[in-house]
Amino acid sequence: MSMSPETENFDQLRRLLAVKRHEQPPPGYFHHFSSQVIARIEAGERADDPVGFVRFIWEGVWLQRLWDAIETKPALAGVFGAAVCGFLVAGVIYTDSPTSVRSPFEETMKGTQTAQVTPPGDTVIEAPPVVLSQFSSQSGVTPVSAHTLLDDASRSGFAQPVFKLGDGQ
Amino acid sequence: MLVKRARRGDMGAYDDLVKRYQERIYATLYHMTSNHEDANDLAQEAFIKGFQALKSFKGGSSFYTWVYRIAVNKTINFLKQRKNKSQMSLDDLDFNAEHDPDLVALISEKTPRREISLTELQEKLNIAMQKLSEPHRLVVTLHDVQGLSHEEIAKIMNCNIGTVRSRLFYARQRMQAYLSDYLK
Repeated sequence: MSMSPETENFDQLRRLLAVKRHEQPPPGYFHHFSSQVIARIEAGERADDPVGFVRFIWEGVWLQRLWDAIETKPALAGVFGAAVCGFLVAGVIYTDSPTSVRSPFEETMKGTQTAQVTPPGDTVIEAPPVVLSQFSSQSGVTPVSAHTLLDDASRSGFAQPVFKLGDGQ
Repeated sequence: MLVKRARRGDMGAYDDLVKRYQERIYATLYHMTSNHEDANDLAQEAFIKGFQALKSFKGGSSFYTWVYRIAVNKTINFLKQRKNKSQMSLDDLDFNAEHDPDLVALISEKTPRREISLTELQEKLNIAMQKLSEPHRLVVTLHDVQGLSHEEIAKIMNCNIGTVRSRLFYARQRMQAYLSDYLK
C-alpha cells in the first residue's frame, strides 16, 4: 500500500468534500464580527482600571488570563509547575526543621516555668507566672525542679528570665 | 503596516486585520466543530487572544499563520473538553451548491431528489468529519476544503511536511470508508 496521497484515487472524496465549501454562516454574519471582537477587547481592557480590579479578582478574569498565557506559551506551564513544586518542597523542609516554633505544651514539658502561648500570628501572649510553691504538699504531688538550659543561661548572666517565680509564700 | 500599528494599540488597524482573516479563521473552526455557535465563540476568542499576545509576536511567521495557530490550538483544546457532548449546528448551503458541476454530477448519479440529497450529504459529511481525530480533521479541512498547501499546514500545525502528508492520507482513507455509500 502506497503512503502517497497522490497515488491513491481520492478524486470522488475530494469532490464530495466540496460540499463543505458551500456551507456559509447566516447572511450579514461577518458585518458585525470584527466590531464584536474589538468591543470585547476594549471591555477586557476596562477590567484593568481600579474599578475593574474587584471584577478581575472575583470573576476569575485573572485565572482566564493565566490560562490563556499558558495556552499561548506552553513553557509557562512548566515554569508555573516548577514554581508550585518548589513552594511545596520549601514548605515541607520548613515544617520538618527543628528550629520551628514549639507548641506551648512542649515549652511546659521542657521545664520552662514561664508559660508562653504562641498563636498563629507573630504576637506572643505571655501568661501569668506559675507559682510552683502554691502546690500543696498535701496533695501528694511534689513539684520537681527541672534543670534547663534557661537556668544555666540565667546563672551565667547571658539572659534574664521574663518573670520571676513566686518566692514561696 | 497593520500589525505594527495594532501592536501600538491602534484598534482600527486590528479591526482591519480581523476583517482580513475572519472568514478563513471562522471557516476552519466551523469545519472543525461542525457547530456555528462554537465556531463563532472560538474565532472571537482567538482574535482577542491574538491582540493580547501581539507583543510576543516576533514576526518569524506571517500574522496569518500566527493567528491561525492560536485559533487551531484553542479549538483543539475546546474539542478535547467537549468530547462526549458534540452537537452539530450546521450552516446552510449557499445557492451555488446546487450549481456546482462536481456536486451536480456526484448527486445526479445517486438520486434524482437533488435538494434533499444535498442536505443529507452535508450531514453525513459532517458526521464523518467528526469521527476523525482532531489533527486528521484539521489536515482535511485545511487542505481539501480550504485549499492550503502542505507547507502552510505544516507551519500552522507546527510539524513537518511528511507528517502532514501521512495524516492527510490516513484521514482520506478513513473518510472514504465512512462515506462508502456515497462513493463509487
